[in-house]
Amino acid sequence: MTRTKKYEPVILDRSDLLAVENPARYTGGEWNMTIKDDVLNQIDATGETQYVRFAFCFPDVYEIGMSNLALRILYHVLNLCPYVWCERAFSPWTDMDHILREKKIPLFSLESKTKLADFDILGFTLQYELCYTNVFQMLDLAGIPLLSSERSEEDPIIVAGGPVVFNIEPMADCFDLVMIGEGEEMILELMALMKKYKDSKQTQNRMSKEDFLLLAEKIEGVYVPSFFTVTYADDQTISSIEANRKGIKNRVSKRIILDMDAASYPTDMIVPNTRVIHDRAYLELFRGCIRGCRFCQAGFIYRPVRERSVNTLCEQGVALERNTGYDEMGMLSLSTSDYSELAELTDKLLAAYEGHHTSLSLPSMRVDSFSLELTQKVSSTRKSGLTFAPEAGTQRLRDVINKGITEEDILSSLELAFEGGWNSVKLYFMLGLPTETIEDVIGIAELVRKIEKLYYEIGRRTNSRMRKLELTVSTSMFIPKPFTPFQWEKQDSLEELTKKQMILRDRLRSKNIKYIWHDLDTSIWEVVIARGDRRLGAVLLDGYRAGNIFDAWDECFSLKKWMPILEKHGLSHAFYATRQRRDNEILPWDHIDCKVKKSYLLAERDRAYQAIVTPSCRENCQGCGAAVFGGGVCYESK
Amino acid sequence: MNQSERDLEMTRLPHQTGYIYRLRFSRSGSLAYIGHLDLMRTFERAFRRSGLCLMHSQGYNPRPIMVFALPLGVGIESDRDYLDVSFVLNLAVQDILSAVRPCLPPDLSIISGWQTQESKGSIMALVSAATYRLEAPGIVCAIKSLLQKEEIIVKKKSKGQIRSLDIRPLILDAIAKDPIKEDDITVVVLAGSHENLRPDLLLSALVEYAGYSQDLAANCRVIRTGLFAGVYPNLKTFEELDKIC
Repeated sequence: MTRTKKYEPVILDRSDLLAVENPARYTGGEWNMTIKDDVLNQIDATGETQYVRFAFCFPDVYEIGMSNLALRILYHVLNLCPYVWCERAFSPWTDMDHILREKKIPLFSLESKTKLADFDILGFTLQYELCYTNVFQMLDLAGIPLLSSERSEEDPIIVAGGPVVFNIEPMADCFDLVMIGEGEEMILELMALMKKYKDSKQTQNRMSKEDFLLLAEKIEGVYVPSFFTVTYADDQTISSIEANRKGIKNRVSKRIILDMDAASYPTDMIVPNTRVIHDRAYLELFRGCIRGCRFCQAGFIYRPVRERSVNTLCEQGVALERNTGYDEMGMLSLSTSDYSELAELTDKLLAAYEGHHTSLSLPSMRVDSFSLELTQKVSSTRKSGLTFAPEAGTQRLRDVINKGITEEDILSSLELAFEGGWNSVKLYFMLGLPTETIEDVIGIAELVRKIEKLYYEIGRRTNSRMRKLELTVSTSMFIPKPFTPFQWEKQDSLEELTKKQMILRDRLRSKNIKYIWHDLDTSIWEVVIARGDRRLGAVLLDGYRAGNIFDAWDECFSLKKWMPILEKHGLSHAFYATRQRRDNEILPWDHIDCKVKKSYLLAERDRAYQAIVTPSCRENCQGCGAAVFGGGVCYESK
Repeated sequence: MNQSERDLEMTRLPHQTGYIYRLRFSRSGSLAYIGHLDLMRTFERAFRRSGLCLMHSQGYNPRPIMVFALPLGVGIESDRDYLDVSFVLNLAVQDILSAVRPCLPPDLSIISGWQTQESKGSIMALVSAATYRLEAPGIVCAIKSLLQKEEIIVKKKSKGQIRSLDIRPLILDAIAKDPIKEDDITVVVLAGSHENLRPDLLLSALVEYAGYSQDLAANCRVIRTGLFAGVYPNLKTFEELDKIC
C-alpha cells in the first residue's frame, strides 16, 4: 500500500452526508476535540511526521462510542503525550457503509479526516463480543488487511483493549497485540516503543514488526496472540496453549491503575454536537465491585475495588462542568451506592453547582432507603423512574448468583418509593441462570405481582389517589462469561429459554405491567463468541464476508446466517453453548491471568450450587487473589 | 390563538425575563450538519461554559430562555442568523461577546449582538423573509427558468401527510450578483411561521420543473445569507429594526 505524501483530508459530498441518518456522526468538529496542527504542517512540508499517529477506533456508531468512558480517558491520556496525536474513528452505520464501499472512499478519522491506513497504529476498544464483525468492517473500509499475518511492515499496527479482550481468542488472528486490563499506563509504555519503532524506519537499523512485537510483549499486560500456539484434542477441547517464541511469558497478567487519585482523568471531555446515548459529563467514582455477583464478569476482572477520593472527584466535577457546559454529571461505577462517601460527595457537588441548574445522575444504585433519599435529593427535576435489578425471582436463586438482596429489601424500599410518589419502576431479571427451575421463573412473576399489589395497598392505606402504576419487567438471557464462577456452565437451549419467556408472558399480563424480553437469537450467538477459541476466527471472518455487521443490533443480527457458517467450519453450537465444561478442561483464556485464582472461582461455583452467599470484599475478604496488586479494598482495613 | 400570537407567548412570560440580547451568528462546516435541537443544545452549552448566568424559565423543568429566529435545516450553512438569549445580569454587549466567543465550537461564530427589548416582540414572529445563496454548476439558469412558471406544485410532507403546495408565490426574487457566473445565485423567499419556503423544496422543484440534475441539486451548497422582517419589498434587517448600524 502506498502512503499519502501530503495532507489530503477525505471529504464527503454534501449529498452523501444528507443521504444518511444523522450526518453529524461523520463530521467531527466538536468542542474540545484535539487538533495537533504541528502534525499536519510536518506532513505538508515533508510528507511525513515525527509524531506517532494513533486512531482510536470504536466498532459501533458514533453515539455509542462517544458514550464510552475508556475512549474519553485514553483519548485524553494519549493526546497529553507530546509525541502522539490520537484521533477518533467509529463504525459507519449501514447507510454510510454502502456509500463508502460504492464510491471507494476510505474510512477516515474525525479530527483531520485522514484515512485510517495512514495511521501508525489503530487501537480498538472492545466493549461487547458482538462488535467483532465491525472491527473487520472498519479495517476493510480502511483498506487494511484483516488478519495480522496478511499485513505488511508498512501497514498500521492493529491493537485492542477493553473488557472483552480477557478472552480475545476468536479474534486472535486479527490483532497484532492486545492490552489486558486498564490502559492508562500501559498505552503510554506502548507509545514510547511505537515512537522508537517509527523513528527506526528512518535509520539503517530498521526494526521489523516482529522486533517491535517482541519488545512490546515485555510490557506488563501486553499479549501478542501470534506468540502462542493452541492445539486441540479429538473431543474438540483444547489440549495445549503454549508460547512459541523463546523468552515469552507463559501467562499474561492484567494491568491495573492502583492510585486512582494520581491517574490522569479528562476534565476536558469532548462535547458532541449531536445527541449521544449518555449525553452528559461523567465522574468515575471507583473501579471494581465489592459484591461479587457470580454471573458478572466486570465484578471479577476489575478487582480489586479502588476508589477516587471525594476531593479529587469534586475538583474534577467542578472542572468538568466548567469545561464542557454539560448540565448533568453522571456518577459512574459498577455499584454507585457502594462508594464509601457518596453522601459527602453528592453534598459537595450539589453545593458547587448551586444556581447552575446542573443535576447529578446516579445510575447503578442498590435498593435501600439511603439510595432513595439520595436520588430524591439530587434530582432537581421531576421524579423519573426507579430501576431495580433483582436478577432472579426466588431467594434461592438470588443466593445462587450471590445477589445479596432479599425480597424484604426489595419490597420495603419500594414501599418507601411508592409512598414518596414514585409510580414508575423498572425491574431487571435474567433467565437461564445455573440451577434455575420453572419455580424460579414463576417466582419472577410472583414478585412482580406482589409489587403491583403493594402499590395499590399503599394507595388505600394512605387514602391518596395514586397515579397509574408503570411496572416495566425486562428479562435478558444468562450468558456464562470467562473469569466468573459460572465460566464452566452451560447455557439453556433455545427451546428451554423460549419456554421460560412464554411462562412469564402469560403470567405478566396486566395493564400495569410491560414485559420486555431480550432477543434470544443474539444471546444464543453471544454465548458462542464469549467463550470461543481461535477456531472461531475463520467463522467470524466468513460471517463478515457474508455481510454480517452490527451484530449487537437486533435489527441487523441474523442467527440464520451465522449457524450454517459455524457448521461449515466443523464446529457446533452445542459444543460452545450448551455443554458443561469439565473442571480441569483447558479453557481458551487460561493463559490470561486476571489475578482472581481459578481455585477461587471453582470454590465460588460450588458455593453457588449450595446457594451460599459470599460476603462482600468490605465485610470479609475471601482471598480471591486480587490482593497481589498491593492496594485497593484488599488493604482498606489492614 | 394564531401562530404569531403563540410565538409571542412563548417568550412573553408572566415573570421577569432577564436581559435579552439579540445575537447574530453564523455556522459552517461540521456545524451545518446538525439539526435545530442539536444547535440549541450546542449554544446552551457554550453559554454555560462562558460562565454567564442564563435566565431560566420557571416551573417543573427550568430551561434557559433562548429563542431562535428561524430553525436551520440539516445541511444548511448560515452567514446571518439570529437568536435571542436572556442573561440574569445587565451586561455590556462587548463583555458577553468576549466571554462567549472563546467557548464556541469551531465552525460556529457570533458576529455581533445588542440588547433588545421584549416589548418589540418575539424574534420568531418577526421573521418574514430569508435569503439563501445557492452554489452549484448551472444553477443560475435553472432558477431563472423555474421562475418563468406560473405555478410550481411540489409535494410537501407535513404532519405525517403528503400534500401539494404551490411554492411560486413563496419565491420573491432571485439575484445573480455576477452576471458572468453560472453557479451562484441568491434567492429571496418568504420565511417564518406563516409562510416559509425551505431550500430543499426549492431544489427538488428545480429537478422536477427546470430539468436540473438530481445529483447537482443534492450537492448544491446552501447558505442562508439573511433574515428579514417587514413586507417585501420593504424588508428590514434586525439591525435596522433595532436601529443598530
